[in-house]
Amino acid sequence: MNEARVMGVSKRFGEVVALHRIDLHIGKGEFVALLGPSGCGKTTLLRLLAGFESPSSGEIWLNQELVADQDRRMPPEQRRIGMVFQSFALWPHLTVYDNVAFPLRHQQHVPEEYKQNPRARVAQMLEMVGLGGMEKRYPSQLSGGQKQRVALARAIVFNPTLLLMDEPLSSLDAELRIQMRKEIQHIHRELGTSIVYVTHDQSEALAMADKIIVMRGGRIEQAGTPHEIYYEPQSPFVAKFVGRANFVKGSWADSSTFLLERKGQTSLPVRVSQDLTPFQREQVLPVRPDQIRLHPWHDGQDGVKGRVQHVQFQGRELLYSIQVGEEEWEVSTDIATRFAYGDQVAVELVV
Amino acid sequence: MATNWQTTLTKRQAEGRRRLWTAPLPMEKAAGWLVLLPVAFFFVYPLWKLVILSVKTEAGLGLGIFSELLADARTWSAVYHSLTAAVLSTVLALVIGVSLAWLCAYTDIRFKGAIHVMAMLPLLIPSYVMTLAWTQMAGPAGVLNRFASWLMGFPVELWNVYGLDGIIVVMGLSHYPLVYMLTLSVLYRIPKELEWAARSCGASSRSVLGQVTLPLALPGIASGGLLAFISGLDNFGIPALLGIPAGIPVLSTLIYEQVIGFGPSAFGRASVLSILLGIIALGGTGLQWLLLRKSRVDQTSAEDRSVRYTLGKKRFLAEGAVGLFLLITSFLPLLSMASTAFIKAYGLPFLAENLTWKHFLFVLRDHAGTREALGNSLMLAGLTGALCLIVGTLFAYWRVQRPHKLGKMLEGAVSLPYALPGMVVGLAMILTWMEPIPGWQPGIYGTVWMILIAYVTRFFILQVKSSTVSILQVGREVEEAARISGGKLWTRWGRILLPLYAPGMLTGLFLVMLTAFTELTISSLLWSSGSQTIGVVIFGFEQAGSTTLSTALSTLIVTAILILLAIGGLWKRYWQRRVEG
Repeated sequence: MNEARVMGVSKRFGEVVALHRIDLHIGKGEFVALLGPSGCGKTTLLRLLAGFESPSSGEIWLNQELVADQDRRMPPEQRRIGMVFQSFALWPHLTVYDNVAFPLRHQQHVPEEYKQNPRARVAQMLEMVGLGGMEKRYPSQLSGGQKQRVALARAIVFNPTLLLMDEPLSSLDAELRIQMRKEIQHIHRELGTSIVYVTHDQSEALAMADKIIVMRGGRIEQAGTPHEIYYEPQSPFVAKFVGRANFVKGSWADSSTFLLERKGQTSLPVRVSQDLTPFQREQVLPVRPDQIRLHPWHDGQDGVKGRVQHVQFQGRELLYSIQVGEEEWEVSTDIATRFAYGDQVAVELVV
Repeated sequence: MATNWQTTLTKRQAEGRRRLWTAPLPMEKAAGWLVLLPVAFFFVYPLWKLVILSVKTEAGLGLGIFSELLADARTWSAVYHSLTAAVLSTVLALVIGVSLAWLCAYTDIRFKGAIHVMAMLPLLIPSYVMTLAWTQMAGPAGVLNRFASWLMGFPVELWNVYGLDGIIVVMGLSHYPLVYMLTLSVLYRIPKELEWAARSCGASSRSVLGQVTLPLALPGIASGGLLAFISGLDNFGIPALLGIPAGIPVLSTLIYEQVIGFGPSAFGRASVLSILLGIIALGGTGLQWLLLRKSRVDQTSAEDRSVRYTLGKKRFLAEGAVGLFLLITSFLPLLSMASTAFIKAYGLPFLAENLTWKHFLFVLRDHAGTREALGNSLMLAGLTGALCLIVGTLFAYWRVQRPHKLGKMLEGAVSLPYALPGMVVGLAMILTWMEPIPGWQPGIYGTVWMILIAYVTRFFILQVKSSTVSILQVGREVEEAARISGGKLWTRWGRILLPLYAPGMLTGLFLVMLTAFTELTISSLLWSSGSQTIGVVIFGFEQAGSTTLSTALSTLIVTAILILLAIGGLWKRYWQRRVEG
């Protein structure tokens, strides 16, 4: 029965409103990612769930128990939550074993078998995160990736009700980040614990989460599966933040036809297969960089003409900036499509 | 699912099964008041009393004492001497401190560790002991002048440390470590790429120093210099030992003479002088704040301790100069002092048949006053250290947790008694604790408890600053990790926080205990028979002309400090190996 519920929660710090009436449900075994730019309130929400802050209004429930409202709050040490911090927050004066065994000694309602034999449980956890046999090391003797694994082991060793992760991968290098994603997914599958994962990296959220909550300015901008968030953004912000979308100006003929505005020419109809109703009011079409194709331009042809402003070689793909009329569109293409700076190209939208 | 939730929720709410988990939240807000009231009473109220007394005349409130004292030539002479000594000694401290810091931070000079420890000594050895040492080296009958006379074959006086020039030199030498320390840490933090960039733009090494390094190091240099200036105003031991015999009053010795002399309106006159001194000192602090407010040095940039300049052939020259300087300013005075302590009778030449242990035995065994003072000073150091350690660390913790305006204000308030000269604080303490609240005389004036309160008030900020460094270094997440892992209050502090805060806490404890153990200024105002301190006894011996006794006791103190320092250094090395790996 491990689920969490946030009901109408607001949080003010003095004059600043960090969260506006947030409603959120984290189901049993669900992996929820809180995604947004810095200052959007995602970390504040996480700290409210952990119990480090009190809500200014609203209620927080864990396992059908009210743990915080505007008057009272259950302290973090009684909530049986595991948490992984951005800075790892290992205790430098304790060995890996003592770090991981700490929750077994001090958490409430730790399964009796773990309490009886903490050595076996810690060894099992270290094995699971790939650090078997490292019990006697001190944190200063570990690499960044190993520290994060210890932090992970410490957070899950006592079978927490809920696992909170605050940008756990942001202090690791790129290669290690990709590897740790797999480990976190593995642990989620093995334990089946509900996870709330805070990140500003859209690819992390898309890769791991069952549900993504995109936040902005203390409000939930959109909640949905990774697929919904990526393919059916409900606001320009989500389209831009998650899909790096270009906003193409024009008008909507109906919900599946967009009339692309062209300078000095009649507008060009574009077929739209996704549900992008929220953008009809905005008079724009969100187009992701991979939804644009480039072709050589032939004089006299009908279509959208653009000019290559920048080319960036990325190994697997090419990133172009294409000047179209007044605007610059970001385009990513496969490696076979090669244009040089200044080339005239025909731009095709595949939405 | 959602409907299930709603029903359980309404059911539970209907049953009123809201558990009471913690104290209601307003308790956390009450903590602010719990800090505010004692701070106001212990740290701010005494200064208020001082101000009130200075404007209290027989005819009610007025500036009578002010105008009387401002018309007195002696006041202006003291102001002049105080300012001259403070300013010129600061210039000396700046020259020595900045050069030494540059050499140690950037060049390939050897023995940096030893130089660093030697440069710190003047901070750890009380300035009155150092002054005593200087009188033994450069007094009229000191080693220096006797050696010169022996060389020439007739009496020569090369230099006499008694007088304003002596005050300036000894003060400068006592305070250059402040400049050295602060400049050193800023120099380490200037990225060397900035210097390389200037070099690659064609700047000579001289213009790199003048246009890049020194301007960037200015915040450190300026705050070190102003600290030296304030310490110069604050100092009592140096002008008391070197100025009073030569008839040169400064503000701190003048206040002392007023209070000791009693007489009608002695306290009123002393408080007016204190306010003058306080205004000059706070003016310095204000100037520092103005300068540093605009500083743009990135405090977060990492320390870079690599060598930036190779001195080449000049290295021997630099090492020789630094060595000679440290020898002359630290070793020789202390050796001269120690040698006096072994002489049977003051003035006899240093020959085997004239040597004796009897002065050491006398101060340690036979002189009741010294034994009592040792006991008092040890007790004061211990209690002041313990109280500051506990309360100061809690205050620092509270301050770091809640970085709001109230915290900043209260930190300013608790640092006031340290920013103000010791004489001012001592007087404010007398005025306050004779009768803290009208009608209540706790009877602690004249006892050792009075001195304890004054010490805790004055040295509190030292502990707060040291603990703060560790608390900030450890960071909030380490404690939150312990909370979320189920650690309750005692577990968190005992298992996690205290072991990690220990380095800063112990540094602060060491600093507070050492400062309290050898303190002179406040205790010279507050002592009475039975509550004298080491500083007071040494000062008393010296004033009574018992130089062999004062030097013997001082030599013992210096030895004890050096032993403590060695222990502290070893412990720190052990800790670093353990935690930092």
